[in-house]
Amino acid sequence: MPEVLLETRELTSGYGKAVICSDVSLKVAAGEITCIIGPNGAGKSTLLKTIAGVLPPIDGQIEVAGRNVTGQSAAEVARSGMAYVPQEANVFRQMTTHENLAMGGWIDEQRTNAARDEVYEMFPDLVPLKHVRAGDLSGGQRQMVAFGMALMLSPRILLLDEPSAGLSPLMVGQMFDTVVRVNGQGVAILMVEQNAIQGLKISHRGIVMAGGQIAMEGAASDLLESKSVSELYLGSRT
Amino acid sequence: MSLQLLVNALVNAALIAPPAMAFSLLFGILRFPNFAIGAYITVGAFAAYSLNVSLGLPLVVASGGAMIITAVVVWLTHVVVFRPMQDQSPVTLLVVSIAAAFIIENVIRLFYSADVRGFNIPLERPWKFMDARITREQVEIIIFSGLIAVGLHFLLAHTRIGRAMRAVADNPMLAAIRGVNATWITAFTTALCGLLFGLTGVFAGLDLVIEPLVGWNLTIPIFAAAILGGIGSPYGAMVGAILVGLAEEATFLIIPSTYKVGVGFAIIAVLLLVRPQGLFGTLEIKK
Repeated sequence: MPEVLLETRELTSGYGKAVICSDVSLKVAAGEITCIIGPNGAGKSTLLKTIAGVLPPIDGQIEVAGRNVTGQSAAEVARSGMAYVPQEANVFRQMTTHENLAMGGWIDEQRTNAARDEVYEMFPDLVPLKHVRAGDLSGGQRQMVAFGMALMLSPRILLLDEPSAGLSPLMVGQMFDTVVRVNGQGVAILMVEQNAIQGLKISHRGIVMAGGQIAMEGAASDLLESKSVSELYLGSRT
Repeated sequence: MSLQLLVNALVNAALIAPPAMAFSLLFGILRFPNFAIGAYITVGAFAAYSLNVSLGLPLVVASGGAMIITAVVVWLTHVVVFRPMQDQSPVTLLVVSIAAAFIIENVIRLFYSADVRGFNIPLERPWKFMDARITREQVEIIIFSGLIAVGLHFLLAHTRIGRAMRAVADNPMLAAIRGVNATWITAFTTALCGLLFGLTGVFAGLDLVIEPLVGWNLTIPIFAAAILGGIGSPYGAMVGAILVGLAEEATFLIIPSTYKVGVGFAIIAVLLLVRPQGLFGTLEIKK
């Protein structure tokens, strides 16, 4: 059994008194891609925000590589080897690509230059865009900058909130290729994705959320073949 | 356009550029238009007056002291008044800032009365260049204002803390996710802007007079400069200050100086109609 990098136990969270997801227990192992799917309002993004420390949990526990990070701020969680890419507003629009990457390495400035070179090596398309403001980039380019920023601290696990949202069909394919490429570098990925079929296709494991709870989980290939999942969440594929 | 008009415009721009940049920085971080900036400038002017005239300190030392005192007042106002209300809407905070301005100004009036005052500095003849006259203090205001603009540019573009300030202004949640301590950055920005408002108070005392409304009278041109440049953009505020300074002086040719304050209002009104994002701002499209 590979090392468990992320584990939540009976995690409950929401906004104010409104509970959005409850009793969520999940595990993400080293090197695997886990895709969370489910209808709108299922609590997928809220779950990711809570794990990332953006939203304080109401109850439950979060561990990253065996370390308890429950209730820690986003900045503290970032130091634990986990990086989060929000769905929207995931770049600093007024800053250049180069500056965005520097902000990605903010908490370990000593390594910024080396880490930035590694990111440019991984995303060579970003090199000519070094001095372009992120706000002037296309959706796909911005998503690449957001990925690059998250990789600046060499995380062991990456949380992606709907990475394909708002991208053109061509860019969606490229974005999923990028996810696979990042995973190939040994980075585990927990991804929330509305584009359920493509998300599950590149994933090792899948989690189906409904009503703020885990409704089903298992191997991604099994979920793709599951009739009930197919009818409820994947749309007609026949 | 006479050379004197250009000199006056330059002095005017130099007077409003630092507080316009500070206002823009504060807006970027705190996300509301702070009407108390005029009162902060008044605090700077009276603090420098007290240190210079009442305590007999040289103006350079008094100016440094006034900047620190103003920074403390601005920071304390933030901690006591604005921070507890940070979840309120920008309009609520705007109204609160007007109340804060009234309180600060009237506390000053209570201790100093509404009398017009000036610094204890030797009177000198203005320097004459071609057909234009300029005082030594006005030259100093222009030089210091220029140095502040260069210094702020260096801070924002080339230092770690400057990048963090821009990051928090740009996207506070993402800045927090990347490990920037927004509380510390806000405190630093508030204190830095306090220093600039304090210095503006000294400038105003040198170029205008010291009285409880000295800062309030500068508020509209400062707002106009910041909005013209693109609110939240310190570089835009700098350019906006030059244009507002020029516009205010140029209108002397066609309307009496009494209506100078109306120029700022007119610039704000026209901009909000024609280009609400200002010259260097970007429109945010809400989906």
